[in-house]
Amino acid sequence: MSRKLTELNELKLKLRSGGGEKAVEKQHSLGKMTARERLEKLFDAGTFVETGLFVKHRCTNFGMDKKESPAEGVVTGFGQINGRLTYAAAQDFTVIGGSLGEMHADKIVKCQEAAMKVGAPMICINDSGGARIQEGVDALSGYGRIFYNNTLASGVIPQISVIMGPCAGGAVYSPAITDFIFMVENTSQMFITGPQVIKTVTGEDVTAEALGGAMTHNSISGVAHFHAADENACIEQIRTLLSYLPQNNMEKAETFACSDDLNRLSPELNDIVPENPNKAYEMKDVIRAVADDNVFFETQSEYAKNIITGFIRLAGKSIGIIASEPKAMAGCLDINASDKAARFIRTCDCFNIPILTFEDVPGFLPGTQQEHGGIIRHGAKMLFAYSEASVPMVTVITRKAYGGAYIGMCSKHLGADIVYAWPEAQIAVMGAEGAANIIFAKDIKASENPQEERAKKIAEYDNMMMNPYVAASRGYVDDVIEPATTRKMLIAAFNSLETKVVRKANKKHGNIPL
Amino acid sequence: MKKFNIKVDGVMHEVEVEEVGGSMVAAASYVAPAPKAAPVAPAAPVASSAPKAKAGSGSVVAPLQGTVQTIKVKVGDTVNAGDVVAVIEAMKMENDIPAVASGKVTQVYVSNGAKVAAGDVLLDIA
Repeated sequence: MSRKLTELNELKLKLRSGGGEKAVEKQHSLGKMTARERLEKLFDAGTFVETGLFVKHRCTNFGMDKKESPAEGVVTGFGQINGRLTYAAAQDFTVIGGSLGEMHADKIVKCQEAAMKVGAPMICINDSGGARIQEGVDALSGYGRIFYNNTLASGVIPQISVIMGPCAGGAVYSPAITDFIFMVENTSQMFITGPQVIKTVTGEDVTAEALGGAMTHNSISGVAHFHAADENACIEQIRTLLSYLPQNNMEKAETFACSDDLNRLSPELNDIVPENPNKAYEMKDVIRAVADDNVFFETQSEYAKNIITGFIRLAGKSIGIIASEPKAMAGCLDINASDKAARFIRTCDCFNIPILTFEDVPGFLPGTQQEHGGIIRHGAKMLFAYSEASVPMVTVITRKAYGGAYIGMCSKHLGADIVYAWPEAQIAVMGAEGAANIIFAKDIKASENPQEERAKKIAEYDNMMMNPYVAASRGYVDDVIEPATTRKMLIAAFNSLETKVVRKANKKHGNIPL
Repeated sequence: MKKFNIKVDGVMHEVEVEEVGGSMVAAASYVAPAPKAAPVAPAAPVASSAPKAKAGSGSVVAPLQGTVQTIKVKVGDTVNAGDVVAVIEAMKMENDIPAVASGKVTQVYVSNGAKVAAGDVLLDIA
């Protein structure tokens, strides 16, 4: 027995050493950890259980029969993160460049299937040169199977993609289908075609980092949701995110012990909205003021800053935030903001996370760029996502709520369960000036002093319509509240909605305008 | 097979017509006249009174279309990333425009009251 045991231990040791010392050294010199080091950090200490260590590739083309690939270039298994079962696959760049072949893909597919069967989150750490060319269409089949499983698992278990090296060509579509993408600055890139191909085809000169680095995808393309300065920081972010998510679509996110007073008042909120409606303030201050321990975990913080998305806890329970940001582009809705919000609403809805909307929206951004870019189609996504969502939804109108944007941002009409307004709220079809110019056009024109008449009419409209009380008189607003009391009002509201059930017509799925 | 001359829009076309059930040798010597191009209205340019400068990594650009209310810095000023360097009035809101980088202001392209389009460079920092 002891001989067999020694043999086993030696074999495991060899397989676990990946691509060997030199390759590991190179990985470290780039500021990157190895696949196994990453998993060790990601999972609670000592809990990771590896599966499929002995899997080998079956390729015999181009001398591949003599090429060894320890663990087939991807470490797969399960373990605990924050004490909860989680599955993971980490590509090992030290083994044939982390290239994806038939059996490499098979390991990832098995891991996905296991995660789906038991209903636990799946994390895939990408660090791969791409398809293993020697394996030809078998490699492509591997990608396809992973994408297919990503799609089947979507809305069933949380799927997280972590980019910690190259992720190019077809490989990008697995992350793209998942719920969240994490990237590390300077060491991770995602693109369909790399700088060299671009140079040959279009003559354009661009670095890999500028083309598809962490900041590019976090601020310009909106592909990624998080960026971190290094891998350790990235892993911390993943662990934090998971704490806000449930294990699967049949469960709720974990409730944490809350030491923050549920009835805590936020007196600073009574003065946060400037008297001059043309002045901005930071909605993130409002979000933090109401959140447990003033903690706000933001997603996509660099993209479409005019809308804020992220998570807070209220009375220890995970809540998804959608909020206008008056500080950025006046908090208007545009193509990117609509896309960002719609996607986040659906993420929350499929994982039973209640949605809290803070609204101070002057409207949709006007302009040919927006219209030609399809703001109609993109804005519709947000309306669709809100209307479709069946989780508890509470909206707080802090100031402006004009026109279509008012309807779109989780109004009572789209299914909000409870809508609160602050006394400064202006819920109207448009700003006073625009409205008065239209309604009183004749009066103003006929007047001897049009300027004076216009000012008078604007003031008249402002007085009559620019408040929360007209909407409240119709029942579109459930209550007008003192801003300082927002936290306790929200906690009461969400508490009342704990058991919310929405019955819907049976259908395959809606047809969201994409 | 019968031959006809047909006049369409003043253009004479010679066509061959075959009775259904007859032999399948239909071939019209008809050549479609090239369709006249519909007049295409040129896309209206976005009103902008700002001179067009090429954006570099230290360029502060207008995030949205609007009117420059104030440029808060002048050439030679030292700024830190995040400092408000300009205010653009748009969507009835005074939008603070922050510096994208720390450094010295090397060029200011717009002045107070200028109309800018999204993407217009306001100033450069190096």
